[in-house]
Amino acid sequence: MLIIKTNVMKISTKQMLAILLGISWVIFVGVCIEAGGFICNAFFTLVLNPVGARHFWQEVNLSNLYWYNHGCFFAETLLICIVAVMRAYLFYLIIKILHNKKLDMLQPFNPEVERFILNISRVSLLIGLVSWIGATYTFWLVKQGVAMPDLQHLRLAGADVWLFMGVTLFVIGQIFKRGVEIQTENDLTI
Amino acid sequence: MPIIVNLDVMMAKRKISLNDLSEKVGLTLSNLSILKTGKAKAIRFSTLDAICKVLDCQPADILEYKAEE
Repeated sequence: MLIIKTNVMKISTKQMLAILLGISWVIFVGVCIEAGGFICNAFFTLVLNPVGARHFWQEVNLSNLYWYNHGCFFAETLLICIVAVMRAYLFYLIIKILHNKKLDMLQPFNPEVERFILNISRVSLLIGLVSWIGATYTFWLVKQGVAMPDLQHLRLAGADVWLFMGVTLFVIGQIFKRGVEIQTENDLTI
Repeated sequence: MPIIVNLDVMMAKRKISLNDLSEKVGLTLSNLSILKTGKAKAIRFSTLDAICKVLDCQPADILEYKAEE
């Protein structure tokens, strides 16, 4: 008889959260650099030198928009910057809760987690809304004859996904709210 | 809440300390304190049974209803 021994590697929740914290830090640094780059380039282009519009960010060339109308350029970059900053804030919230170790698996329904879920749902909804406005505005600019980069490059794509995520998290947040009430009641049942 | 817990009154009548009651009933001091101070949201029948047994009293001696004005 052949006996095969298998060593199944188990990853505990604690390890998984540590890995997620590491990944979140990497993404957070990335989105912070991106948001900072957008803000600096927008400021540089509008205040110091219009050449910044040509090399706005990686493949993004907004020189056509800048020469079409400075106000439109300001509005477009403002929307891009808001989305970028909100994305950075979203990852800041994730890092904050993972770093402070507020995810208590023994008592998962605590007010801290409830607040966290409702906060990220609000931020996701806001990102979705601003992205949608940005995408609509970009389409309008294209209709006016302005050559615009792809929405993916402008970081304004995926508004529907953000909105879906926001609504889903909001529902989960409401369930958590009730969960906190039930857990508090259970804790105070002698 | 209109339900008042008179545990401290019964404890005083029976001259029993919180530590002794906690030991005899089998509840932690913090839980007993929550019950005594009226912060508890609910009480199990088993807990009420144990307290009544130790204090030799009726549930009505511990719990009282007072309508809110």
